[in-house]
Amino acid sequence: MDPTAEVIALVGIGILLTALYLQSESFVDPLIRGISLQSLLLAVLLGWLAWTEQSIDLALLAGLAVVVRAIFIPYVLRRQIRAFRWRLREIHAAHRVTGHALAAVALAIIAWFVFQETLASVFPQPGAALPFVLMIQGLLMLATRTNTIVQVIGYLEEENAVVYAGALFAQAFPLFVEVVVFLDVLGVVLVAVILSIQRDVTGTPEEAALEELSG
Amino acid sequence: MNGFSPQLGLYLVIATPAIAAILALLPLSRASELVARTASLVTFGASCALLVTGASGRWGPYLGLDPLSDVFLFMVTGIYATSTWYSRGYLRSIHEAFLTPQIYYALLSAFAFAMISVLVVTDLGLMWIGVEATTVASALLIVLERKPASVEAAWRYTLIASAGLTIALFALLILYTATGTLDGFALAAAPPVVTLPIEMAVALALVGYGTKVGLFPMHTWLPDAHSEAPSPISAMFSGVLLPTALYAFLRVYRVLPEPTPALVSNLVLAFGVVTSLVAAFLLQRQRSFKRLLAYSSMEVMGLAVIGIAVGGIALYGALLLLVAHAFAKSAAFYCAGNVLRGTGTNRIDEVRDLRGRMPWTGAGWVVSAAAVTGAPPFGTFLGELLIVVGALATGAIWVAGVVVVAILVAFLGVNSQIGRMVFGEADSETAPIPAGSDTGWGVAYLNLAMAFAIGVATLPYLSEALREAAVQLGGALP
Repeated sequence: MDPTAEVIALVGIGILLTALYLQSESFVDPLIRGISLQSLLLAVLLGWLAWTEQSIDLALLAGLAVVVRAIFIPYVLRRQIRAFRWRLREIHAAHRVTGHALAAVALAIIAWFVFQETLASVFPQPGAALPFVLMIQGLLMLATRTNTIVQVIGYLEEENAVVYAGALFAQAFPLFVEVVVFLDVLGVVLVAVILSIQRDVTGTPEEAALEELSG
Repeated sequence: MNGFSPQLGLYLVIATPAIAAILALLPLSRASELVARTASLVTFGASCALLVTGASGRWGPYLGLDPLSDVFLFMVTGIYATSTWYSRGYLRSIHEAFLTPQIYYALLSAFAFAMISVLVVTDLGLMWIGVEATTVASALLIVLERKPASVEAAWRYTLIASAGLTIALFALLILYTATGTLDGFALAAAPPVVTLPIEMAVALALVGYGTKVGLFPMHTWLPDAHSEAPSPISAMFSGVLLPTALYAFLRVYRVLPEPTPALVSNLVLAFGVVTSLVAAFLLQRQRSFKRLLAYSSMEVMGLAVIGIAVGGIALYGALLLLVAHAFAKSAAFYCAGNVLRGTGTNRIDEVRDLRGRMPWTGAGWVVSAAAVTGAPPFGTFLGELLIVVGALATGAIWVAGVVVVAILVAFLGVNSQIGRMVFGEADSETAPIPAGSDTGWGVAYLNLAMAFAIGVATLPYLSEALREAAVQLGGALP
């Protein structure tokens, strides 16, 4: 088997497993570690592709995945919860973990089939459906979780899905590096600015149920 | 306009707000306001010149203009200018602002720059970056007043809009892989053979950009962000940010050749129908007048999307509706800002007798409510009428029926609630309005005059550009 195909398959399985793990976890600290691991796996794939294809763009993307999404943002998120790191869990999600995990698996299977039926003709590469599956997993996390830190993790998972897709089947996509840099900037704005303000003003990383925002 | 160089106009429109955003950060608090005001006027003047000269063409690999972008530039820069001029009085009324005036004006100009960049690039990837940049620039503006609700609204906005835009980026990845290019102008000029992946890409772009347009069910950020942002920013959100996101979708949609494949046009139609109906009914139960306006914007976006899906003369109506609505809705938000400053509340049931207590704002408030809900002779009326006529012309009677129901329900809901605020009797315990609150209505009246002029077709250059844009998109002339 082609070594590159093996790396793509192994990393793909790892990324899928981390995505399913993130859906079934309600404690926040392991979730942060989980997204950090997923970003590292992605960086391994990007690094391998950069080396085999001698691509500076892919090397840059691998570096960004490590520095921004595997190290910096998780570090900031862990600082946000340092006062109650081992206790913080998403209360709303805690008693629905089994349901989340089942929904995640079901959605992964559906996304896989939808991809095969509609897009496989232009993306014949092995494992090309995985980024699509990962995007759906990120959306599920954003839609079902209420803890803001967990929502940032959902956002990072979506970003990982985009980078994963770009690396697998659209390496010539114009401005792809710039797009990823931009997504990273937005991620940093999310965690470093708005999250900090939210903690200052509301004193909680939980999404607030404000009467003013009802209706 | 003989001798006017479209290239110079294009560079002025792009560079001026960008330079203003940088200069506003200089440590001179009064200079930041002056710089932003001057820049907004220069930008609007340049976009007017581009509209009058019918600027069209490409400059370099990434920049280009056509009638559609000329119309949207006119709209975006017009609201940028009036919001900048309205901001001074509004900022003075905020006691504990999160942002200094320098940062506020810098972000305001950066927000305008991001929207303008969407309109002047030919590459769909760059266009996506521009739409995403609007989120970065505007998210912090929402938290200006440092309230828990505004922080929460900024959070939801950033997260939901970004999640949607990630889907749009996926759509572009698919489109690029299927066609080998992301040059929107080239793809529109020579549409690719329609395949299922290309249809899938357009459908994903609808969901992705539709999140930012405020289409149901991805709209949940919209009422929060519009109601919690400072009024000049709410005006830009409702008036031009939503149409700018719709513009980005239109560029992807036009990749499909005429006639649009039924699968995609029906999907677009379904999103438009559901959005306009849901918004029209949801606005009936609103207690905050800024949320009321936000749902009204969502209803108008739904109608515009219906017009795009129906095509023909309805497409012209949709473009006309977007332009007239931008000016009318921004006027409504400026009046809402005045009411908020004067009464200290955003609750509809706590505001009465604006006619007597804030006569200038009260009058503008009533007229702008009528304008945004499509009352004649405003441009919104003409736009909505053409969408109904277009639907009837294609034999889609049920679509015309849905549009009429949504328009009537929204009209009654918005005008009855705002009518109560203006003409209702205040009780004896109602707090007096602070002196000097009934100011800053000038820009609201100016924008209402523009919405009126669009309706009675006294803006020849705009009408011409609108017609050319509709034809360019596959629509028909009225």
